[in-house]
Amino acid sequence: MKRPITLTVNGEACVGDIEPRTLLVHFLREHLGLTGTHVGCVVGECGACSVLVDGQLVKSCLMLAVQADGCAVTTIEGLSTSGTLHPVQEAFVNRFGLQCGFCTPGFVMASHALLMRNPNPTEEEIRRDLSSNLCMCTGYVQIVEAVKEAAVKLEQWRTSRT
Amino acid sequence: MADITHIGRRARSKEAPRHVSGRGQYVDDLSRPRMLHACILRSPYAHARIVAVRADAAAKLPGVRAVLTPADIKALSQPFKPGRYAAGLRVPIAEYASAIEKVRYVGEPIAIVAADTRAIAEDAIELIGVDYEPLPAAASIQDAVAEGATPLYEELGSNVGWQGKVSYGDVDAAFARADRIVRESLKIHRYSSTPLEPFACLAEHSPERLTITCNSQSPDVIYEALSEALSETLSETLSGALGTAAVRVLVPDVGGGFGQKIHLIRKYAVLTALMAVKTRRPVKWIEDRSEHMMAGGHSCEQEFDVEAAVKADGEVIGLKIRDTDDVGGSVSTLTIHFTNKLNNLFNTYTVQHLTLEGRSVLTNKCPVVPNRGIGKPGMCFVWERMMDRIAQELGLDAIAVRRRNLIPASAFPYTTPNGNIYGSGEYETLLDKVLVNVDYDEVRRRQAEERRHASPAAAGPPRGTYTGIGVVIGVEPGGRNAARDMAIFPASKQMPGAGGVEGATVKIEKNGSVVFTLGSPSCGQSHETTAAQIIADVLGVSPDRVSLATTYDSALSPWGVSSSNSGNNFHLYDVGAVHGAATRLRDKLLTLAAHVLKEDKDRLAIESGVVSLGENSISFAELGKIAYTNQAQMPPGFEGGLQVTYFHSHPHADPLMLPDSQGRVRAQYTFSSAAHAAVVEVDVETGRVRVVRYVIVSDNGTLINPSVVDGQIYGSAAHGISVALGEGFVYGADGQLLTLTLLDYGKSTTLETPHIEIEHHPVPDPFTTLGQKAAGEGAAIPSPAAIASAVEDALSPLGVKVRDLPLSPERVWRLINARV
Repeated sequence: MKRPITLTVNGEACVGDIEPRTLLVHFLREHLGLTGTHVGCVVGECGACSVLVDGQLVKSCLMLAVQADGCAVTTIEGLSTSGTLHPVQEAFVNRFGLQCGFCTPGFVMASHALLMRNPNPTEEEIRRDLSSNLCMCTGYVQIVEAVKEAAVKLEQWRTSRT
Repeated sequence: MADITHIGRRARSKEAPRHVSGRGQYVDDLSRPRMLHACILRSPYAHARIVAVRADAAAKLPGVRAVLTPADIKALSQPFKPGRYAAGLRVPIAEYASAIEKVRYVGEPIAIVAADTRAIAEDAIELIGVDYEPLPAAASIQDAVAEGATPLYEELGSNVGWQGKVSYGDVDAAFARADRIVRESLKIHRYSSTPLEPFACLAEHSPERLTITCNSQSPDVIYEALSEALSETLSETLSGALGTAAVRVLVPDVGGGFGQKIHLIRKYAVLTALMAVKTRRPVKWIEDRSEHMMAGGHSCEQEFDVEAAVKADGEVIGLKIRDTDDVGGSVSTLTIHFTNKLNNLFNTYTVQHLTLEGRSVLTNKCPVVPNRGIGKPGMCFVWERMMDRIAQELGLDAIAVRRRNLIPASAFPYTTPNGNIYGSGEYETLLDKVLVNVDYDEVRRRQAEERRHASPAAAGPPRGTYTGIGVVIGVEPGGRNAARDMAIFPASKQMPGAGGVEGATVKIEKNGSVVFTLGSPSCGQSHETTAAQIIADVLGVSPDRVSLATTYDSALSPWGVSSSNSGNNFHLYDVGAVHGAATRLRDKLLTLAAHVLKEDKDRLAIESGVVSLGENSISFAELGKIAYTNQAQMPPGFEGGLQVTYFHSHPHADPLMLPDSQGRVRAQYTFSSAAHAAVVEVDVETGRVRVVRYVIVSDNGTLINPSVVDGQIYGSAAHGISVALGEGFVYGADGQLLTLTLLDYGKSTTLETPHIEIEHHPVPDPFTTLGQKAAGEGAAIPSPAAIASAVEDALSPLGVKVRDLPLSPERVWRLINARV
């Protein structure tokens, strides 16, 4: 028996008619074609599927799509809608904070969520927070550098707007 | 060539913008009209005979389009030919894409279902009934070789699949004149780099061809596997006499490789392809995490008995190693971990006399596969643990013992006793620098102070944290010579290929932009960025105007035996191919420009995409327009277009590309090197090891993009550290894998992984295109030994010896508490 759901994804209203067992990550990827959210473990360990649900960081493999009914979801595709990269994305590019790119959308979303909560984190705070996500390529050094750079960029961005 | 301006710079990544915005294109991101989804039934037993497989109920489930049982798979496909990883196999053994009569490890594929959705395919898998006759499982080397053990392969008569030996110099004479023999038994465990994207295949069958899109690191393996396994099926289903010529392999973005995606993925490419042939519909199969953990391939558990013949001053004059490799439940990678030890057999040392005896034992565990260095981390572990042990037994300083044995800078190019030619290196300088950078004397001073304040051993169980430091050195071989195995297996009838061949195509478009194609796929090593920097310098354009035209496509990419994201091949073969193609294209461009400008070709300069002599100039776009559209403006006899394909083979592949009469052969062609220093704190009450500092001084030859090389070093070091700290596969005595998730497996996160510090000390290679050497798997080779050395140093007041990995808290606690 399928269930109808209505939600907002990256600012656009979406409807779905889905099996209740459908995971949010599979709904995003297969029903909406938002393939930037990746599946690395499907049991909440790797964080490659991290998205924002009503502003909170969520591993979308640990949430059923029906649980997101009525929510606002932001995926990696929706982080920047202006045509330019978001400061967090730009910092990951500048600092070589990725290699194969498979974990990257999850790390960018997790870093973005961290910097929204804590605009000026220490290295220890960055490492503690991002331990939710796994990267097999980088050894994390350049990811941590990217988050530090993103914090500076976001601060400048905020200052320039006030 | 124009003045070098982009090589050596931290040029902006070309791959990163699409990945940070979620626009990478991995296999699972692709979809086709009428595409089906496949799911695989796997063995729950480590060892069992398959008595019967009943698939009727699964086939009748609505939405299921096809089911293949072992009988179907045997009827529709042919076995793989024994590959080069199985050199030395004494009886031919047919291996199909799935288990046929027996299962030999938990997770071995048995049957496959294709259905309208993945969920239906998974439901159908549960409806397949299999009758098994369980057999005794050998879950360890000891069980497998025990008297009366049930053989995995009856044809072999026992579970010792191969035994052999290589010997260089006069080892017995060296041992006879030694002042002392130092003996040790060492062990390295099963692990994997666990790429975050598991295996993925999308197969499409048309009347013209079979196309498979998959995340293979070595598409030639897939190409050959499909040709071998499906040639008869394809010749019946494809039109005309195309047969195997009509296999096409595509590799889009790959979510990490590390060797995992070289070998066993061929099974799944064949199974997915069979489904596409049977249903005449596109079929996608995506492996899940637990499937990858149990059946995607592991590195090899290796046991070493080592004897070193030493002089009183610490000189090592001979080494004898007995190596037992637990190769798991397949003969297809029987000797790969043995043969790869030839690549760094002598590490950085001058010893001339060495024997390596090998034994490959089949066990009811996941087959072993290439993984970040293959046997090389084990070989380096042997050398560097022995250096520490020799120092302890002789009462010498461990770093001084290493210095006593290092190949001196004046000896390069240096030929090792087994035929490897090290082009360049300054090993002593690497050690000097790493000691400065890690502040070695200060660490020793603090350690001495800490030990003065520690409670005396008699005052009860040890408490607090103990500091230790380990300093090791290792080589990172690069650029494969496929003829290596011929030195060990001269009887092999099939020459595995020798030296290397890899191509690149560089093209100036009609609008003046530059595109290129490589023969090999990438798994995240920034090949596009690196290659674009080289092309930009050779052609005289900005890297912004240079881009990769397409990812790997066997029908279009200029590929050869070296077109593999393995063996650290890129730096040697792809760089040579890209440079060669760009150089030839530059010459062609100048020929055309000289004719149009009516100038002497040799006097022309190129800058920012404009060819000029003084005021007389012409842009790439104008030249492109002529080359593709206007024969009247071309010189007589000029071949139209501005495109060059060039295949690179190493110009210095000889001597010793083929083995000589003494069995000397070049296993790989370049030899990066690095010194690693680890400072650890061990909590002696809990056994927890914290890596306080991790410092590397690395010689990777000429750096093309230092940020890219940094990333390779950081990543491979982090993996080696995680291996040493506790990640690994654990099996129960019944052969059940107990570590099916990344959490159980124990992969280090940002919390356990230290901030790694790198200093580059590049010593250009005299034989490569730009002086470059390898950078990829390198830091994963010495890092397990560095952590072992540091932990042993920390616990030396307690008399602890580190012989095995991993050093998980539980195992360190046991070491502390088991001491006499």
